[in-house]
Amino acid sequence: MVKFEKIFELSALRRYYRVGDELVHALAGVDLTISDREFIAVIGSSGSGKSTLMHMLGFMDSPTSGKMLFEGRDVSAIDREERSRLRATSIGFVFQAFNLLPKLTVLDNVVLPLTYSRKPVKNKSELAIKALERVGMEHRASHTPSQLSGGERQRVAIARSLINEPRLILADEPTGNLDRKNRMSIMDLFTSLMDEGITLVLVTHDDEVATYAKRRILMQDGIVIEDSTK
Amino acid sequence: MNYIGDIYTGASNGLREVWSNKLRSLLSMSGIILGVAALVAMVGIVQGMLNNMRASFERSGGVLKLEVHPSEAPESQQHIAGISPGMTWRDISAIRKAIPLADFVSPVVDMRWERFIANGRREGGLLQGVTPDYANIKKNELINGRFISDYDIEVKSPVIVIGPHIVKELYEGEPNVIGKQVRVKGQVYTIIGQIKPVGRARPGVRNKFNYEARFNYIPATTAMSRYKGNDEINHIEILASNRQTMPDLIEQIENTLIQTHRGILDFEVRTQEEQMAELEKLEKSFTYSLGGIAGISLLVGGIGIMNVMLASVSERIREIGVRKAIGARSYDIFIQFLAEAVVISILGGLLGLFLSIGLLSMARDLIPEGENISLIPISVMIYGFLFSSFIGLASGVYPALRASRLDPIDALRYD
Repeated sequence: MVKFEKIFELSALRRYYRVGDELVHALAGVDLTISDREFIAVIGSSGSGKSTLMHMLGFMDSPTSGKMLFEGRDVSAIDREERSRLRATSIGFVFQAFNLLPKLTVLDNVVLPLTYSRKPVKNKSELAIKALERVGMEHRASHTPSQLSGGERQRVAIARSLINEPRLILADEPTGNLDRKNRMSIMDLFTSLMDEGITLVLVTHDDEVATYAKRRILMQDGIVIEDSTK
Repeated sequence: MNYIGDIYTGASNGLREVWSNKLRSLLSMSGIILGVAALVAMVGIVQGMLNNMRASFERSGGVLKLEVHPSEAPESQQHIAGISPGMTWRDISAIRKAIPLADFVSPVVDMRWERFIANGRREGGLLQGVTPDYANIKKNELINGRFISDYDIEVKSPVIVIGPHIVKELYEGEPNVIGKQVRVKGQVYTIIGQIKPVGRARPGVRNKFNYEARFNYIPATTAMSRYKGNDEINHIEILASNRQTMPDLIEQIENTLIQTHRGILDFEVRTQEEQMAELEKLEKSFTYSLGGIAGISLLVGGIGIMNVMLASVSERIREIGVRKAIGARSYDIFIQFLAEAVVISILGGLLGLFLSIGLLSMARDLIPEGENISLIPISVMIYGFLFSSFIGLASGVYPALRASRLDPIDALRYD
């Protein structure tokens, strides 16, 4: 299989919402390229369009206009089913509120994306344990999320996002619910995962967290106003 | 696409969800549990009752039995009705002599309700005078002794064939009472035959409903001479040899009796066809009305499940959002919630079946059970179970559809 150097290529991407009679320009023409093994922080105030951008990259939403290429393929107008398939196979999500399913064990939470991606995996538990080892949580496999601390839960959530070997991990304020010590430890984890070869887009408004990223994208009013690489 | 795998995953998710909300699941199942239990128990009880009626109908001669009863003479004959001798022993002789199509003929000299006395105890029973043919018309099985013989008829023997009720009450259910004596209406009779109780005899359970068990028989001639003082009989019972010749037989009986009654039409021939049709009608109406009631209660159970599933969906909007974000298709979510509803209804159906078995075994002690009567209606149990599962499936569709249509972005924002 051809390994695409460029994962996403967005050009003049727009997304409008109609709220009552008003047209909200959540994305007002975004040009952006995301390449393999990049570590990007998307920053901006609330309402700047960074969440909408993340929904686009996560195949949870489709653009109103503009072009969106994923691994060279035009995905601007794909249907819900195809978006689900891409979410399952190519994208890993990490949320601010962790969003682990409380009734499942840590292991089952990590296995869950495998059941939806329908990858022919012989031993799902083994794969999940490996993912938990990457985040240092294998000893907690049989616990439920409520028995874990916030930092531990986010590590499990990261393991869950890794299990399908996605092309891109999207983290939406992953440290927003954590104290300083855990924040740093999660960011160190992301940095070490970068060395293993993941591609990460981090949405945050925390400047300290953003300094971990190699590339910073500043958004305002639905457009990228600054794109800088360290 | 792997449907089996999807269903397996859905069902195991459903079971886990049901198990982690035990009380709520049980409450939501209650409608189905009670619906299935009511359906199976009601049908079981009614089937048992109808089977009893059918068995009793067959024992009393079935469709081949004819009865000739006295009736009011028609208006046009009222002025000469007195010339008819009425229903008498001569009718029996005439039928026997003239009608070979009548396999068995017996008069019934009805003494109605009498007090039976023996061993210092008294108990009410029914006493009828009949002839040996009667044993073939009404199929009473004897456990001891013999039925009335031609000799008994000829010499008017003071003998009695006794029913299980009197045996139980006067002789405390002694296994063999042949040769013992019983006093009825001032006369003493020797017991020559003992009728077998119908159904399972259970010690300690008094069977108040069993009317049949109260019949006792003496020779018709004995009854006529001891109590009536003439040769009048109350009615005639005849068993036809087959159904095809019955219309001919009825005509022959009418032709014969019109002569012995001197042209007066003061009798009527009754068949059991009507009773048979009545029984069938009863069976049908019971089946439909019970099916309807049970169907409605199962429907209510289904609405209960739908209600709980809708609540469950709105409670778990965030979970649905997470599942969708990590790759669940709408179809996966649909199957998950549908499987949950089906798991609830299947478990409810199974619990309902267990409950119905309990109810039926309780009912067994109250209802006289005939021979060959299965009170656990297997086919109804299967139908009830399938129907309840179907109701669960149907009531799960809408909540599951709602869950599957949620937008992942909105669902994730939901608190």
